[in-house]
Amino acid sequence: MTQNETESSVRGDRDLANAKDIIVCEGVSKWFGDFQALNNVSATIKEQEVVVVLGPSGSGKSTWIRCINRLEQHQEGRIMVDGVELSNDLRNIEKVRSEVGMVFQMFNLFPHLTVRDNISLAPIWVRKKPRSEAEEQATSLLERVGIPEQADKFPGQLSGGQQQRVAIARALAMEPKIMLFDEPTSALDPEMIKEVLDVMKELALSGMTMMVVTHEMGFAKEVADKIMFMEGGQIVETGTPEHFFTNPTEERTKLFLSQIL
Amino acid sequence: MNSKNSTSKNQFKPDSLTESSNSELPPKVPVLSPAEWLKVNLFSNAFNSILTIISTGAILLIIRGLLSFIFNPLRQWSATATNMRLLMTQAYPEHQYVRIWVTLGFLLFLTGISLAFWRAGRSVQISQVGKRLLVVGAFISLVTLLAPFSSRATIIWLAVGLVIVGIGLLMKPANEDKTTSSMTLLSGAFLLAILSLWVIPYGHHSYISTRTPRILAEPGTVAMTTKLPWTIMFVVAVCSYFLGSFIRDKIDETRSKAILSTTWLISPLFLLFLVLRDPDFDTGHLFSTDIPIFLFFSLVGSILLLWLTRPEIGEKGRVISAVILFVGFATFLFQMLMIVRILTLVLAFFALAAPTFSGQKPARIRYTKMWIATMMILCWLITAINTPSTAKVPGDFFIGGFAITLMIFFFTMVLAFPLGVLLALARTSKFPIFRMISTTFIEFIRGVPLITILIFFSVMVPLFLPNGMDLTEIAAVTIAFVIFEAAYLAENVRGGLQSVTRGQHEAAEAVGMTNAQKTFFIVLPQALRVAIPPMVGQIIATFKETGLLAIIGIFDFLYIARSVIPGQTQYMGSTRENLLFVSLIYLVICFSMSKASQRVEKRVGLGER
Repeated sequence: MTQNETESSVRGDRDLANAKDIIVCEGVSKWFGDFQALNNVSATIKEQEVVVVLGPSGSGKSTWIRCINRLEQHQEGRIMVDGVELSNDLRNIEKVRSEVGMVFQMFNLFPHLTVRDNISLAPIWVRKKPRSEAEEQATSLLERVGIPEQADKFPGQLSGGQQQRVAIARALAMEPKIMLFDEPTSALDPEMIKEVLDVMKELALSGMTMMVVTHEMGFAKEVADKIMFMEGGQIVETGTPEHFFTNPTEERTKLFLSQIL
Repeated sequence: MNSKNSTSKNQFKPDSLTESSNSELPPKVPVLSPAEWLKVNLFSNAFNSILTIISTGAILLIIRGLLSFIFNPLRQWSATATNMRLLMTQAYPEHQYVRIWVTLGFLLFLTGISLAFWRAGRSVQISQVGKRLLVVGAFISLVTLLAPFSSRATIIWLAVGLVIVGIGLLMKPANEDKTTSSMTLLSGAFLLAILSLWVIPYGHHSYISTRTPRILAEPGTVAMTTKLPWTIMFVVAVCSYFLGSFIRDKIDETRSKAILSTTWLISPLFLLFLVLRDPDFDTGHLFSTDIPIFLFFSLVGSILLLWLTRPEIGEKGRVISAVILFVGFATFLFQMLMIVRILTLVLAFFALAAPTFSGQKPARIRYTKMWIATMMILCWLITAINTPSTAKVPGDFFIGGFAITLMIFFFTMVLAFPLGVLLALARTSKFPIFRMISTTFIEFIRGVPLITILIFFSVMVPLFLPNGMDLTEIAAVTIAFVIFEAAYLAENVRGGLQSVTRGQHEAAEAVGMTNAQKTFFIVLPQALRVAIPPMVGQIIATFKETGLLAIIGIFDFLYIARSVIPGQTQYMGSTRENLLFVSLIYLVICFSMSKASQRVEKRVGLGER
């Protein structure tokens, strides 16, 4: 891995104003049966930007980020990821998926493979890397997330926090340009949340483009460049953390904040 | 993991310290004396006592009835004993019988090595063995007293039982840390059985000297003809076990296990068609046709596959594979050798799978090697099957009896398993056409009795075949078994496929795997693991269903026992004895399959959620 200069790169170094757009959503809508999960969502995310998506449950946050790597299909509007439009064309979908890493709420590690194989499987068969190189990369990624000694265990033998860190390493092994986090800490015991958030912070500092759905307000305040607040399948308010937490403009945002803070 | 920790903890605590650290150990379960055990478990109240007495009486009556059937002087056990060769291999030529022993020897050699590599067996406490022997000895004595033996036989068997009890008593007080491997016990038991062949002339009965049975050739008894081969077999098995444990630590273990598994899969084919069938190769034809075809396909195929597995090939590769598939099907429209058609089709499937396994140079070379190995096996098999056999026997197949039961079972399992997996995948596929075909096939086959399918294939299918195509009855019946079992296995596998959560599919998709990669690396391994218990049930059922071969007149194990031996003039009316023997063999094999599957379940449970 080349991105080990975490100490030197400070968030302020990034020139977000001139960065190019990497995710563009224009008027995205999606229905589950009669229920409209996404209602005309439009947003732009720049390279190296860290975006936290907040909102009450059922507001469409997860559905939206699952649309970005096509785990869900949107029915109206356009989604462009790194210049590739998501359509029914299978090649586009596979191209986008190999450049977008995803971390799930329930970890979804492969239970029949060791931790090392969990991480190196996709690089070997999707990126077509030689096995030795992929396994070396797996080892260094495990060091990066702080659990190099667990490489030969099976996922069932790890704690929740360790499993989620393996899941992050698995996503990073594909060397993605964008990382999506779908409530990465919601299924964890309180004492394990911090170890996962630390890994995510380190990742944000290294310049990864990240979209995070979470309920961790501390993380949002500290790390996010931009906070998007969703409700009823719409983006209600977008702004910097300072703006969002100190003087939100929308009534619904204020209500949400008053309930959680 | 946990058990390891706890044992190592216990090792650091000598007995004298247990008092002081009592809080960390679980309380000891008090050991009951036999009288107390009986009281607690069998005579705890009036109702239980009545139940115990009634069922004990019933069991004793059943055993006594069975024994008086078995040891009735009217029983013609000699029918089974003298016809052992007929039961096992039907009329395999006497002078080529060494081929049977070579086959068996090779399989035992593989068994020995595999047992060593998979570290079979566990350590058993000597005192436990003693307890077991006590039970066995007591059981033998009880049976002797119940059975209608002559007084001499009673004395002999009682003595045997008491000797075993005596050995058990000697071993029982042994120290707890005195252990032995269960493999040692097993081989000891086999050794005793084989030694007894040298002492007791099994299958030797008075009328062998007066009336020579038709099937059994000189010199006659089972013990006399098999004691030397069995001794050699035993030595082979034991030596290969030690050989296996010697080389186990010197070579890469996962790799050699993979090689061993492949050998298990392939060697029956070679043993059957090369060793047992003894094909009479025509050297001219071999050099003019078979070898050139093999060389052509492996060379052209290798170059093609090396090119198709390049990661950057893209759409061009799919088009070319589709063209080869089309050509493969088109070959059936023209007059040509069957081998060419088959190999073209196989090449098409390899080409279609190429993008899934593409990669850097080592991966591509591995894929090409797989292709060449497949070519070698296929070409060799097709050539061997097409050459006439030198083992001349009456009937249209060169083996029968237990051997053909095993053979059809093996082929059914090896072919039905992949077909069943494919059917299950098709039934859960996104494409409606696959789903429809697979569902129709499965539901149709499951709706028809097996015996109907068997009769259909043995009688009707040969009539439907085009001119010039020939299918022996054995092959037709094997195909019938394959499609029947595949339909059932498919349903078992489908159950496994449904147990793989949506999250697993999503995780595989999110790292960019194609559908084929997701199925092959993520979904199938998990699904098959879940499907092991129902699949083993199906496999055992299949083994027993081979008995239906008897009904359509194939000389299988059951048919020989039921119809052939009782048809011999000197053994009229010996059906029941033979059937009892056959059911004992079926029981032993099915029970050991069930035990083996329990071990496998435990072993693969390692990475379970």
